Amino acid sequence: MALEIDRRSAEERFRTVFAHLGTITAYARRRGSKDADALAAEVMTVAWRRLADVPPGDPLPWLYGTARNLVLAERRLSAPAARTSMREPERVASAPEPHELDPDLTRALRSLSEIDREALLLVAWEDLAPSQAAKALGINPAAFRVRLLRARRRLRASLDLPADGRPPAALSQLDVEGT
Amino acid sequence: MKTDPTILRLRKANPHPLPATVDAADLFARITERRPDSRLRRRVTRRRRALVLAVSFGVMALLASTAYAISNWVFNSAVRPKVTKQEYRLAQHELTLPPGVSWPTLNVDPNSVTSRGAGGGHAVLISQNAWECYWVKAISRGDTAGQQRAQTELDALLANNILVAPAGAPEDWRPPNPPQVPYAVFAHDGGLEWVRKTYALAAAGHPHRLAQTCRANAPR
Repeated sequence: MALEIDRRSAEERFRTVFAHLGTITAYARRRGSKDADALAAEVMTVAWRRLADVPPGDPLPWLYGTARNLVLAERRLSAPAARTSMREPERVASAPEPHELDPDLTRALRSLSEIDREALLLVAWEDLAPSQAAKALGINPAAFRVRLLRARRRLRASLDLPADGRPPAALSQLDVEGT
Repeated sequence: MKTDPTILRLRKANPHPLPATVDAADLFARITERRPDSRLRRRVTRRRRALVLAVSFGVMALLASTAYAISNWVFNSAVRPKVTKQEYRLAQHELTLPPGVSWPTLNVDPNSVTSRGAGGGHAVLISQNAWECYWVKAISRGDTAGQQRAQTELDALLANNILVAPAGAPEDWRPPNPPQVPYAVFAHDGGLEWVRKTYALAAAGHPHRLAQTCRANAPR
């Protein structure tokens, strides 16, 4: 009887988490997952298995964090050659990357570090509040805000780049600040 | 943030701006047919245990406070025979009896309760009756000093040890600030006036009513 009640209450709780399935599927698609539906289903399976870890009030940051890890894992599995040959920097090979963008934006986003890019996209595409995005990335909100500000500046500077790719003075100055 | 041109440009470029539509019922059923997180059960059990403990403490506190309130309510105004007898004994040190008279034994049913102060009140009435009878005898034998003493003692008793309950007060009325001396409570029915009149008549040489009172109230 008690077990039955526990399962029922777990299912009730999981239902509120599961309601975000569409959001997580869209996230996986935006990050270029090869099988966004399967990845989102995997996120939900992990959420069910580890339901005690999912914050009941606001499960979204936890779901995004898990989805991001799974996208990274998917990329690592699908690009072993690129990683072992060291021809590309690892951060580019292992990061969830934006797809189907205009070339300028793609180039500008690729110029950012993976975590800076993710910070920007969690706010711009996933519409997360900075505090939620910070949780999804596992960093504290103050550090997130600084990172977001820096990423915005860098992206803006990169988007102003001329076609030949010469870096403007402002960008190199930003790089001196460190990542 | 929402008006930042970089963020706005990124938003416009969102390749999938809407959440995906997914047929989820089957997936939900498939996921939840597996075992749920076992830590949840522990957490629920722990929470339930904490709740049971909290409720138990609450009930215990309620019972304790109720018991305290009831005992206060019952035993503050009603006392056991032991207390009544103790009051009676203490009152004997504060009241007087005429020469040759001793305090009678107070018999109280062991399974009864009495109003607090009743032992002292009983002693007051014993003392009053003894002095009334003494006064009657002093008149009959022409003992002026004895009459004078009896009257003084009875006047002091009426002044210090007898209270009159307010009009309409219940039978078990107690003064809000009980005096530190033994006291008896008379009803608000003119009884005290009748006693005063009896004493005035006796002082004027007419002991008839006083003799009647002595006989009527003598301890049996």
